[in-house]
Amino acid sequence: MIETTPAVGWYVFGIVPSDAAPAPGTSLVERGPLAAVAAEVSLAEFGEDVLPERLNDRAWLEEKVRVHEAVLQSFVGATPVVPLRFGAIYHDVDDVRRLLAERGERFEAVLERVTGRSEVGVKAWFDPAQVTRPAAGTGREYLQRRSKELSSARDATAVASEAHARLAAAADAAVVNRPQPRELTGRDEQMLLNGAYLVWDGDDRFATEVAHLAEEHAAAGITFELTGPWPPYNFAEDDA
Amino acid sequence: MSTRDLVHRTGGPAPAQLADVLERVLDKGIVIAGDIQINLLDIELLTIKLRLLVASADKAKEMGIDWWHGDPFLSSRGHPGRLESRIQELEKRAGIE
Repeated sequence: MIETTPAVGWYVFGIVPSDAAPAPGTSLVERGPLAAVAAEVSLAEFGEDVLPERLNDRAWLEEKVRVHEAVLQSFVGATPVVPLRFGAIYHDVDDVRRLLAERGERFEAVLERVTGRSEVGVKAWFDPAQVTRPAAGTGREYLQRRSKELSSARDATAVASEAHARLAAAADAAVVNRPQPRELTGRDEQMLLNGAYLVWDGDDRFATEVAHLAEEHAAAGITFELTGPWPPYNFAEDDA
Repeated sequence: MSTRDLVHRTGGPAPAQLADVLERVLDKGIVIAGDIQINLLDIELLTIKLRLLVASADKAKEMGIDWWHGDPFLSSRGHPGRLESRIQELEKRAGIE
C-alpha cells in the first residue's frame, strides 16, 4: 500500500474584511476586500464519510462547536464578521476563494449591516414559585392564591411578547427563537422568551430596557438573562 | 438591590451555556449552499438543520443522523411550553402544598 499525505480540507468559520487580523489558529484566505477565516482540518476527521459518526459523538461535537464559536468570538468588538454555520468545508483553498467571488456581494452587504453592532441574547424565565404572594392560611386564601398563580402563568406569556417588542424597539434588528426546552437548559424555570437582538455598540438604551423589564416583572416571578455580545449569528442573512 | 442586579448576566469571560452555543453555531449563520450539500441533522428540539458542504467532491450524499435519540440530555419529552402544561404544573404544585 502506498503511503499518502493525510487528506486535508479547509474549514471556513466566517467572513471578515481582508484587513482584519486573523484569529489564533486560523488563516485568512483573501480575495478583494473580503477574507475567509479558515483553518486546515484533517479529512480523516471532517471528511464526509467519517463526519456522520463524529457528529454522533457528543464530546467531539461540543468541542468543535465551541472552537467555531471561539474563533468567531475573537472578532467581536474588533471587526465585523459574517458567521457561517458549522461545517463549511472545502477541499481546496481555491474553492474558498471561489466562495468569496461568488457570494462576495452578499457577504459585503451583511458586513455593512453588522458593522458597529453586536448580537446580544435575552431570555426571560418564569418561576411560579417566585411569584410574590401572601402566605396561605384559610381555604379561601388558598383558592385566591391558586387563582393568582394560574393567571400569572397566562400573564407570563403576554409579558414575553411585550418584553420582546420593547427590546426590539431599543435594537437595530430583532429575532425571536423558540424557547429552549428544559432538557437543554437543565433549569426548572420555564423559558418564556429566547430573543436575539442586534444592538449598536456603546448604546446603553438596550441594557437599560432589560433592567427596566427585570425590575417591573420581578414580582411576577419573571427574570431576565442577558447573554453576549455574540458574533451576529442571528443576523447573518443580508435580508434578515 | 439595584435595578441592574435583577438582570442575570452571562457571557464575557465565563463560558457560554452549551445550549446557546449549539443553537447559534448549528442553527444560525449563513448556510453555504453549493453543488454538494449534506443534511446531517434535523433536531426538532432546536429546530436545527445543519447542512454540511463539502465543495468540489465528486458525489452528493444525503444522510440523516439521529445522535440526539437515546440521549437523555437531548431526547424530547415533548415541548413543555404550552400554557396548558404550565397550568397543569401549577395545579400540581398547588395540590402538593
